[in-house]
Formats: sequence, C-alpha cells, structure tokens
Amino acid sequence: MATQIIKEDFSEASRWRRRPRPTFAWLAQVVSGVLLLVLLTVHMVAQHFVVEGGLRTYADVVAWIRNPIVFATEALLLICVTWHGIAGVHAVLLDLGLRGRAERIVARALLDLAVATILYGLWLLYAIAFRS
Amino acid sequence: MTQARRHDRRPQPRRPRWLDPRGRHLGTWAFVANRLTGLGLVAYLYLHLVILSTLLRGPEAWDGLVELFRRPVFLTFDLLLVAGLAFHGLNGLRVALVGSGLLVDWHRALLVAAGILVGLVTLVAAVRILA
Repeated sequence: MATQIIKEDFSEASRWRRRPRPTFAWLAQVVSGVLLLVLLTVHMVAQHFVVEGGLRTYADVVAWIRNPIVFATEALLLICVTWHGIAGVHAVLLDLGLRGRAERIVARALLDLAVATILYGLWLLYAIAFRS
Repeated sequence: MTQARRHDRRPQPRRPRWLDPRGRHLGTWAFVANRLTGLGLVAYLYLHLVILSTLLRGPEAWDGLVELFRRPVFLTFDLLLVAGLAFHGLNGLRVALVGSGLLVDWHRALLVAAGILVGLVTLVAAVRILA
C-alpha cells in the first residue's frame, strides 16, 4: 500500500480561519478577564500601593468610595470579578466530569450565587458610601 | 482516518487530565496553575467581601482590623495574593490569545514572558509591601 502524503496548511492564518466558533462562555471569560486585568491593576494601585501602610482608615475609605468615579469603577470590578470567578468554577466542575441534570442544577446554583454576590457587593458599596 | 475521528474514539477520562501530573508539558503545568490560582482567588473574593463588611460596624472595628492586617504574616499573605493575581492575569491573557488562535506558535515564549513579568510584579510588590 503506497504511503499517501497529505500536505496540510498549518500556518497561523490557516488555523485562525479554521478555528472552532467561540462559545459565549469563552468570549465572556476572555472579555471579563481583559477588563479585570485593567480594573484590578487600578484597584491594587489606587487602593493599596499608593496608600500609606497599604490600607485606608475608615474615614478615608468612606471619602474614597463616595467619589462617583471610584464607586462606578469598584461596582464594575465587582460584576466582572464575580462573573469571571463563578464561570471559572463552572468550567472546573465541567472538567471534573459534571454532566446532565446535576450540571444544570449546579449551573443554576452558581448563577444564583453570582447574582447574590453582585447584589450584596453593590449594597455594601452603597452602604459604605452613603450610610456610614 | 481523520484526526477528529481518532479523537472521538479516545476513551473518556474518569478524572480531569489536568489533575494527572505524569508526563505533562510546561503548558499543562501553566493550565493547572491557572485553575488552582483561579480557585484560590474566588475563595479570596468571598473572604474580601467578609472583611469589607466590617466597615458596616463602624470606625473602631475597621481601624482595628487595619492594624491587625499590618502584621508581617498578613503582609506575606498580601504578597502571595499579588503573585497569584499577576500569574492568573498574565497567563490568562496568554491562554486567551492562544485559545483564540493568535500567537499559537509563540505560546511557550509568551509563558516565559508572563513568568518574568510575574516575577517583576512580585518583586516590586515585595519592596512596596514589606519594606
């Protein structure tokens, strides 16, 4: 039997054209991840690295969070980090072999947890800024 | 037989392949580390929310906690956190690029670059936090 040599184009451009269609979960994880790189860098520098001693006192925290730009940035960070983290946990559970009805129940529970986390975090931000 | 059909005939692993360290390449170790740092960071997210909730108990509670967190053991934990964040973020960027079909041939170089950057970020953080 003669050996047949099949020439295939494995160039990067070719792979890019033939790539599998990205899922919503993958795209959401990439977008939230890139946003987090920016938001967390801003958070770590502004909240910790430029602050004397690394942590603000109570009065300074309240004054800082009352700034509308800071409030909005922290709220966006909360939403992105919760989505990214919970979706990551879901991906790990899929890796562990979670399938079928159990997967649907766990996915629903994780979604509820994400919503609850975001709602609590937003309320906490509001309470710190305006009820302290 | 095509590559896809050969792939379909493989028996499904009973446990995730990334939990098995035998014969793994550098990229797989990076994947495992990304998963583990990710899980650690999710745990820290909830710990962070619990800690921030102390602000609701007023200035004395919060300022007392701030004093506690300035102890060396907590500062070391902060440094570990920065290193974990830097690794997860930079390696995650590499995974996003390669997974999207971009710079696939450079994935090892990207991992090395990410490792160097993580080292630099951790070094700067160590000087800032522990000095």
